[in-house]
Amino acid sequence: MSSQASDHSLLDLLQHPAIWRGRSHAACHAASNTLSTGYPALDDCLPGGGWPRAGLVEILTPRYGAGELRLLVPALAKLTQLAPPRWLAWIAPPFEPFAPALAQSGMAIERQLVVRTETALWAMEQALGSGACDAALAWPRRAQVRSLRRLQIATERGRTLGFLFRELTSARESSPACLRLVFEPQPLGARVTFLKSRGGARGSLDLSWIPEGNRGLA
Amino acid sequence: MHPRDRATRWVKSGLAAAPAPLRERRPEPPQLDLQPPPDAAPRVDAAELWLALHLPALCLEAVCPQTPSAEAAAAGPPWAVLDTGTGRQRLIAVDAVARRHSVEAGMSLSSALAICPSLQARVRDPRCERLRLVALAESSLGVTPRVSLEPPDAVLLEVRGSLKLFGGVDALCERLQLAARSLGLTLRMAMAPTPLAALAGARTAAGFLVHHEAQLVSQIAPLPLSALRWPEQTIERLAVMGVRTLGEALRLPRGGFARRFGRESLAALDRLVGREREPRRAFVPRQRFRARCDPTYELSNHEVMLRYCQPLLADLEQFLRSRQSAITALRCRLRHRPPLVATRVELRLAAPEFEAARFAALLAEHLARLPLPGPVRRIELRSGELLSLAPEREGPGAGSGSLWRPGEHGGAVGRETPALLERLRARLGTEAVYGLCLVPEHRPEACWRIAEPTMTLSQRPAVAAPASAAVAAPSTATTALRRPLWLLQQPEPLPRGLDGLQRLRGPERIESGWWDGHDVARDYYVVGDPQGAELWVFRERQPPQRWFIHGLFG
Repeated sequence: MSSQASDHSLLDLLQHPAIWRGRSHAACHAASNTLSTGYPALDDCLPGGGWPRAGLVEILTPRYGAGELRLLVPALAKLTQLAPPRWLAWIAPPFEPFAPALAQSGMAIERQLVVRTETALWAMEQALGSGACDAALAWPRRAQVRSLRRLQIATERGRTLGFLFRELTSARESSPACLRLVFEPQPLGARVTFLKSRGGARGSLDLSWIPEGNRGLA
Repeated sequence: MHPRDRATRWVKSGLAAAPAPLRERRPEPPQLDLQPPPDAAPRVDAAELWLALHLPALCLEAVCPQTPSAEAAAAGPPWAVLDTGTGRQRLIAVDAVARRHSVEAGMSLSSALAICPSLQARVRDPRCERLRLVALAESSLGVTPRVSLEPPDAVLLEVRGSLKLFGGVDALCERLQLAARSLGLTLRMAMAPTPLAALAGARTAAGFLVHHEAQLVSQIAPLPLSALRWPEQTIERLAVMGVRTLGEALRLPRGGFARRFGRESLAALDRLVGREREPRRAFVPRQRFRARCDPTYELSNHEVMLRYCQPLLADLEQFLRSRQSAITALRCRLRHRPPLVATRVELRLAAPEFEAARFAALLAEHLARLPLPGPVRRIELRSGELLSLAPEREGPGAGSGSLWRPGEHGGAVGRETPALLERLRARLGTEAVYGLCLVPEHRPEACWRIAEPTMTLSQRPAVAAPASAAVAAPSTATTALRRPLWLLQQPEPLPRGLDGLQRLRGPERIESGWWDGHDVARDYYVVGDPQGAELWVFRERQPPQRWFIHGLFG
């Protein structure tokens, strides 16, 4: 009884805004500023229970088109349905975004904005910092830490979610992104490894595409 | 009590009382009435009060460079304006510095140069004068809707209704003086119940102020006849008769005056004192913005060029604000030394815009990319069609662009949306930035196309929206089969067929397309590769039945 009471008082004390605690801090403060990924298992591992509402997320993949986009699709679909319409920018995508598939996954087609450019990082910074985009996805050729820092600042300025797709080789470089994941495709699923996650889980997570695969078969 | 105070009081009481009944308008008499009209009933409309803005130094101010202050002007070189129209080069206006050097208007250029070798003489530019006059008239529209031009050097405003709003005659005049000073013009003002009397007052006397037509005749009587700008000959003949002031002219017998000096002159006198109404042609502001600037030296640096554009853009913003309008196109022409053709820059804006800062930012992007064949001598700006801003700014979301960032508090699409498009397109080119759109088709290549990004869909649906909405439903219904998120621009051949790939779903047959010449006959499969990625592949039904990759389930 007394221990319960003391637990309560301890919890009350911990609610004090002046007290900073790594993981829970991120969880309680970011909850309103995150967006569910659509994969409960992944949500559990991310700080705040989802993608940050504004911030730079790096996704490292061995190659493009291996399923990394499927990780984002539920969240992006939700974003394009939000009330004040803003763009979803595709900057220097490796292939053509296929409009019927985007519509199928629930995205608003008229909010897509495709930018073909060699200077992907410049376009990304414009898109992130302008406040005109809900999210921006970019596939830059190469990126230096300094330009990544500019992107991270731009996401805060424009309250935009930025996804940066990079090669696996850049895993060793440091990055100012608030979230870094390695995405490795597996048969009927994928392995997500958390390289950097402020207040989130560490290690790897195996996701499977089964639910969506079923829908596809039906 | 000072007469002016009494007059102001009269105005106030007049405004407070019920409006005077309008005099019924008689049809214009076919012939001028030579009989003296009954003096007891002046026919001027009591509701009118005209303020004349006379620009005594307009021809000088139109061609001389602007100086920031009187001290700077005093330190500068003496200026004079020439009239070459009569064949002889004669000075028609000189500035204060030149006057100190004993140069007077009316001198010939050679004698003026003999007295003052440093004299800067310019030929009179009637076009520039007209532009200045129009600019003044436009800024006066902020004071009263009834503005009328009196070329070459005056603007008339009907201000009876404006006096109370702007806090009396003095405040109103001060406001106009300030506006004129910002345009680089010197004003002389006079107020009277008839336009002609106000003009005559402004041309001749400082501080001419008559509120009530009962005082008008006595007030204008001492003014010289030259105030009416009658032909030289007429004034000389009147002077020979001993008639030198307006009062003396008004006392002459009407019949004899009309016979000797023409009915026009008599009509002018009648209009002067309000016996005849003088309908004024209303000034209609320009519907397009045009401005140019001639830098003092040739420009080749983009930064400097942009600096010269800033005042023009500020004028443009003022122009648009006063009309509650915006533009989507702005043309800028950079003129070079003659054999070279002018360089043109055209700004296209995704949404109506009126802020100078936005124009400047876009212009900077364009100029930075622009190869110039030579230095620039003149910069010209010309606006596209004006679009009214009123309906878009008045909805419930009005002002949300400025108060809230988009996404906050349900603010509508901010003006950031077009700004981003413009900035990207300014650097990357128009084709590099596009939107997507669905087409009701079954072939993967034809069921989508690129489209103009139209994100004005907040209020009204975009052009592409109805089509996409109509299409989305059937396409999801007919193609319950999942489509890949990525499509390759060209199908890539799979030389080894499905070797080493795992067939997951399929086949799905997609064929025909004879109506546009791109006939297809394919069986699509979803296959998994050993690394775990899913591919969208097809086999041609026609021999040689090759395999291709067409998409990736990214």
